[in-house]
Amino acid sequence: MIELDLTLPLARFTLRVMRRLSGHAVAVLGPSGSGKTSLLESIAGLRAGARGRIAIDGEVLLDTRALLFVPPERRRLGYVPQDALLFPHLTVERNVRYGSPGGEGAEEVGRLFREAVSILEIDRLLARFPSTLSGGERQRVALARAIAARPRLLLLDEPLAAVDVALKGRILPYLLRIRDELHIPFLYVTHNAGEARAVAEEAVVIREGAVVFAGAPEQALEWISQGDPEARFDNILAGSLETTVSDGGGFRGIGVLRVGEARLVVPTEDADPASSRAVFAVSPEDVLVSNRPLVGISARNVLPGAVVALEIGEASGWARIRAQGIEWNALVTKEAVRELELAPGRPAWIAVKTHVFRRLR
Amino acid sequence: MEISDGSILLLTLRVAVVSTLVILPVAVGVAWLLARRAGPGRTFAETILSLPLVLPPTAVGLLLLEALRRSGPLGRLLDRVGIELLFTWKAVVLATAVMSFPLLVRPVRAAFEEVDPRLLAMARSLGSTPFEAFRKVALPLSWRGILAGTLLAFSRALGEFGATILIAGNIPGRTQTLALAIFQRTQIGEDDSALRLVGVTVVLAFVTVWTTEVITRRKAARTREGPA
Repeated sequence: MIELDLTLPLARFTLRVMRRLSGHAVAVLGPSGSGKTSLLESIAGLRAGARGRIAIDGEVLLDTRALLFVPPERRRLGYVPQDALLFPHLTVERNVRYGSPGGEGAEEVGRLFREAVSILEIDRLLARFPSTLSGGERQRVALARAIAARPRLLLLDEPLAAVDVALKGRILPYLLRIRDELHIPFLYVTHNAGEARAVAEEAVVIREGAVVFAGAPEQALEWISQGDPEARFDNILAGSLETTVSDGGGFRGIGVLRVGEARLVVPTEDADPASSRAVFAVSPEDVLVSNRPLVGISARNVLPGAVVALEIGEASGWARIRAQGIEWNALVTKEAVRELELAPGRPAWIAVKTHVFRRLR
Repeated sequence: MEISDGSILLLTLRVAVVSTLVILPVAVGVAWLLARRAGPGRTFAETILSLPLVLPPTAVGLLLLEALRRSGPLGRLLDRVGIELLFTWKAVVLATAVMSFPLLVRPVRAAFEEVDPRLLAMARSLGSTPFEAFRKVALPLSWRGILAGTLLAFSRALGEFGATILIAGNIPGRTQTLALAIFQRTQIGEDDSALRLVGVTVVLAFVTVWTTEVITRRKAARTREGPA
């Protein structure tokens, strides 16, 4: 439980957040410069100007009326900034060990370290210096450093923003493991509504320093699409993956993902068991939209559906299309919308190639 | 009694080493405050600290002499605890320490200013107290600047003359460093032996300045590579 009653004057506006957040995984969404990073820094105790009250699980970290300010080193919060901020003079191993809890025995400290290293798969990087790491590797090391300090709450500031699209799929699963295996709650700043839906139980949308929405991540979508040019809507698909079914093609490397009534042809790995839970992501750029049935096309996933909503900006925008029980986000140009005469309620077909499905877990 | 060149060199080195070691922790602390604390007093403090750089060394020496004479404020205190300072080698140390202090503070402050404050915030958030963050993050990231400043202050200490001669005199075997000995020998017409000492000082100065250059060069090269 995170209790916030916070005021922080910023250059253009004042950040005011008065919320109780109960979820274990909270996504914080909103345009750049809306105060998301300031919110995380205030909770971490790194903003001297923050006024009000902050309490986590009943422990008060800030109460300016009672003149109480717990310094950052005693808050036990794992802050992971956008740019990772690894200590450049320390190896990866010493970075990860930096915050090892002092009061613990050597055995416990060692266990936390090994756990962090293995969950984020950075064994091979331990002897290297941060300047030799790629963006994705830095993010993983920063995450490992945060969790090895055994925080009571992780504050993740767009941990995937500095990472290119192909790498995102590789970081998101680590976040899911931190959530599901270590049970460390987190506050997660992102522009990606799809990511938010995949990892969070609760979402908060901030604009100009004020909370404009709080609730289920699915319902946050429409709040995000307004006013956030960087907003992204990856399609996140969770379901049961079957690798041995013959009608999935019967080919090696191809399987079927069942999501409700939908059956999607997706790539698989040799190590996959016959049946397992899996999560995939599809970028909205990779979803093709047609206004008539698609035949003679190589894409293995052609689904009939209907347009739910269109949010079109100056040149392009989002088409939300419901097909076989799934709401898909597709990125479309204004011209395509006009030519295909797409409109809410009109039938539409979508096509998704097998290999644009990115495995998240 | 003729004092050998070797013992003059030894005294000079001893004075320079002791004075540099004495001011090092103080200068690092002061540099840290100047680099991190913004405020109205900062420019004033910086100016005061830089005065020894621009004042005639004899002026600084006279001020010290006034403060340290038996009737002066510091002198009375030292007299009570039984410390004899004026015209001893400790006075030489004091004079060189005061004169080289600003030369040590400046590069150290510049190095501290280059440390990303967000890294220090990160260290705090990972459980470090402000002092631990300073020791484990700021200090190691600034070691080149600290070393460069130390060598600079050391080379300044080797050649200190004006302030020294006022509070320590020019006593062969007791307070006579290389700079003072060169002065004395030219005064009595022993130019050849003075030149010999000049040779020694040139070698000393060359080695320290060259080392400083090498260190700062390497630092510049590393910054260009730009480890993000």
